[in-house]
Amino acid sequence: MASPFGPGANAVARGVVLLVPLTIVVLSVAGGVYWRSSYRTGVGVVLDQPVPFSHKHHVSGLGIDCRYCHTTVEESSTAGMPPTETCMNCHSQLYTDSPMLAPVRQSWETDIPLRWNRVHEVPGFAYFDHSVHIAAGVGCVSCHGRVDQMPLVSKQHTLFMQWCLDCHRHPEGALVPHDKVFDLGWQRPSGAGKGAEPSGVPLMDHVRTVGLTSCSACHR
Amino acid sequence: MTTAAPPLLDPRHSYASITDRIVEISLRRNFPFAWVAMVGIAFSVVGLMMVSILWLLSWGVGVWGINIPVAWAFAITNFVWWIGIGHAGTLISAILLLMRQPWRNSISRFAEAMTLFAVANAGLFPLLHLGRIWKFFYLFPYPDTLGLWPQWRSPLVWDVIAVLTYFTVSLLFWYLGLLPDLASMRDAAARRWVRVAAGIAALGWRGSARHWQRYQMAYLLLAGLATPLVVSVHSIVSLDFSVALVPGWHTTIFPPYFVAGAIFSGFAMVLTLAIPLRSAFGLQDFITARHLDCMAKVMLANGLIVAYGYLAEDFTAWYSGDLYEVSKLRDHLFGGGAALYWAVMFCNVLVTQALWFRRVRTRPLPLLLVALVINVGMWLERYDIIVGSLSSDFMPSAFGGFSGTFWDWSLLAGSLGLFTLLFLVFIRVVPMMSMFELRDQLFKERRAAGSGAPRDDHPRTHAEVAPPSGPLHGVLAEFHDAQSVTGAARSARAAGYRDLDAYTPFPVEDLPEALGLPPTRIPLLVLACGILAGASAYFLMWYSAVIDFPWNIGGRPLNSWPSFIPITFEITVLGGALGAFFGVLAGSGLPLLYHPVFNVPGFERATRDRFFLCVRTSDAQAGPVHGMLRALGPIRVSEVRGPPP
Repeated sequence: MASPFGPGANAVARGVVLLVPLTIVVLSVAGGVYWRSSYRTGVGVVLDQPVPFSHKHHVSGLGIDCRYCHTTVEESSTAGMPPTETCMNCHSQLYTDSPMLAPVRQSWETDIPLRWNRVHEVPGFAYFDHSVHIAAGVGCVSCHGRVDQMPLVSKQHTLFMQWCLDCHRHPEGALVPHDKVFDLGWQRPSGAGKGAEPSGVPLMDHVRTVGLTSCSACHR
Repeated sequence: MTTAAPPLLDPRHSYASITDRIVEISLRRNFPFAWVAMVGIAFSVVGLMMVSILWLLSWGVGVWGINIPVAWAFAITNFVWWIGIGHAGTLISAILLLMRQPWRNSISRFAEAMTLFAVANAGLFPLLHLGRIWKFFYLFPYPDTLGLWPQWRSPLVWDVIAVLTYFTVSLLFWYLGLLPDLASMRDAAARRWVRVAAGIAALGWRGSARHWQRYQMAYLLLAGLATPLVVSVHSIVSLDFSVALVPGWHTTIFPPYFVAGAIFSGFAMVLTLAIPLRSAFGLQDFITARHLDCMAKVMLANGLIVAYGYLAEDFTAWYSGDLYEVSKLRDHLFGGGAALYWAVMFCNVLVTQALWFRRVRTRPLPLLLVALVINVGMWLERYDIIVGSLSSDFMPSAFGGFSGTFWDWSLLAGSLGLFTLLFLVFIRVVPMMSMFELRDQLFKERRAAGSGAPRDDHPRTHAEVAPPSGPLHGVLAEFHDAQSVTGAARSARAAGYRDLDAYTPFPVEDLPEALGLPPTRIPLLVLACGILAGASAYFLMWYSAVIDFPWNIGGRPLNSWPSFIPITFEITVLGGALGAFFGVLAGSGLPLLYHPVFNVPGFERATRDRFFLCVRTSDAQAGPVHGMLRALGPIRVSEVRGPPP
């Protein structure tokens, strides 16, 4: 009895044999690319906010310190979002009829806080404390980037665990002198080694790196 | 193989009768009502399993009875039980092959299928135990965004790799063995869609001497790789427990005693399947009383090792004088754990002694009863080891009980249902016995007995299709037996023909040499793949543990090479097995669904009972080839032609 397959079947069979591993490879690579893409991580993506607040204007232009608004960053796990009162300290006098600020005035009148959309979301199973990082001398810029140059803030880093670990393994690159933590534009003087004060006093003295990669440092 | 042993196969069988008898089962249009009913029952139990899994995923592993201190219970018991059952299939297909035990031929195929389904079931339980099953890929080393690697020093990670390797190697072994039988099925089927389906699955196997040569070498090497693998898998499973300090777990007897227990329970399951199968499908010709006897003896031998394991465990506990070990032993013998302990002893030690009697070993019903009791006993044994040990470890204030919830039981029942369903589908769709190995066995038994080739000329009643009239590919001579085709090949070579091939229903020993085929390079390929895979695995572990994520584990060196051996070994085996499997396919040019030789009327008997010699030639030189082949006394000589251009 003749074969149920014609000569063309061989090419089809070979094609399928090649296609199966190719599909697996393509799908795996595509998955990895997707996972790291800004579509998924949100890096560089500007979120809609109730008010188009410009950090560039307020920080670089006016010279307002980070802590003017993020008041609890030095003593609490969260940096703190400013209440509407903080905005109104100035904006009760300035641009009082700007349509852009209408939501702020409305919040002030109704006593309902503004609902900002969170740019840096750390998952609930990861314990993160701003005050510890500030006290250790990690500059804001290490995680948040040059916020002072962003008209609209976006995430600058993936917040992948790999990214956290990179720094926890080698924190010296992120450490700055204690009075420069909030200085986003601070440059390490050439000649000073990483993790060294410009005066030559090592910054790493007070940072115990041994525990930094322990699971329970972040997952408690 | 001792030549003095009586034949396992009835000498009245022929190649054709063996093939037709077994392939007929898969080709039936209708299966008995009992089969349909069992599929229905198994299917509804699998439905229950699906509900249980959905419930588990919705609410978490808390729906089981597990808590602290008994954090492992049914799921891990089921895992160990199923993976143990799987061991018999590999033992039969690999170890008995190396030991040249011909009685394995009738049972190897469905025992291997049993292994696959049991290991698939086993793998399901640790996955479900993860709770977040969709994160399963965290178990593998891959370039992730977490910056983490699996903990290579943990037996639990060894276990993942071992079970996956075991499943993969078993699947390759099973599928490779199935290829020639799928080809038989393709050639025996009358319905077109069956021929197409079986033809695709057989990848164009045509029983060429070139196929068989590589096939046999690869099969032997796979058996050699699977033999240490099967021992390693249950050893690693036992290390999940014995590496911990829990009294009742922390003992060095565990690896050998787990391996013996695995084979013990596996053979019990093979018998549980074989005895109903042989009577349901009338396969007493192939699974004879002697087969049952052999399996029962293996079971008895392993049962005695298991009994020795129990004795050694209890003796060591007592002799150690360790407070916790002794109290665990006392609890087993006389305390709250006594009921379970003595139930295990009854099932696995006492009942097994019935196998000393030949009358039990050779009679299906008593043997089936013994096997069923052992199946239950081995589940209870694992339950006792896991739940019994965890419930009372060191501090009486931290003792705690366990009782299975509905969802514990429903998943156990569900896994039995899934296993049954898969097995029922298996016996429906593919030949449940290795037909080509039985044909080979018949050939060897007849040769040992001095009788010639079996003569049996039941032609199949296929409609003959006129062969195509394209250019000549070669000339094909058809013979009755293996010796004739080997002789014909020698004569053709002596006459100066070099481009030869032969097609046979089973591997014929001298044929590659008679055809002048060069020795296969599969062994070299397997060696290279194995070394490459093993070295890569060790490099990965070294790189991740020493360079990328140096991490102090109990003060051990970063390069903890003794802990890296199990995974290196598993991946070496995996690499070798993949090399062997794909080496056969690539070397034989498969898949090749179409070949001109399939156009020859009657060629479908190459996968049943006929032996063909093909001399490649063209139309211009065909005349002398015809003459040469006719002189060799074939049944007939045909021309192999492709379709017209």
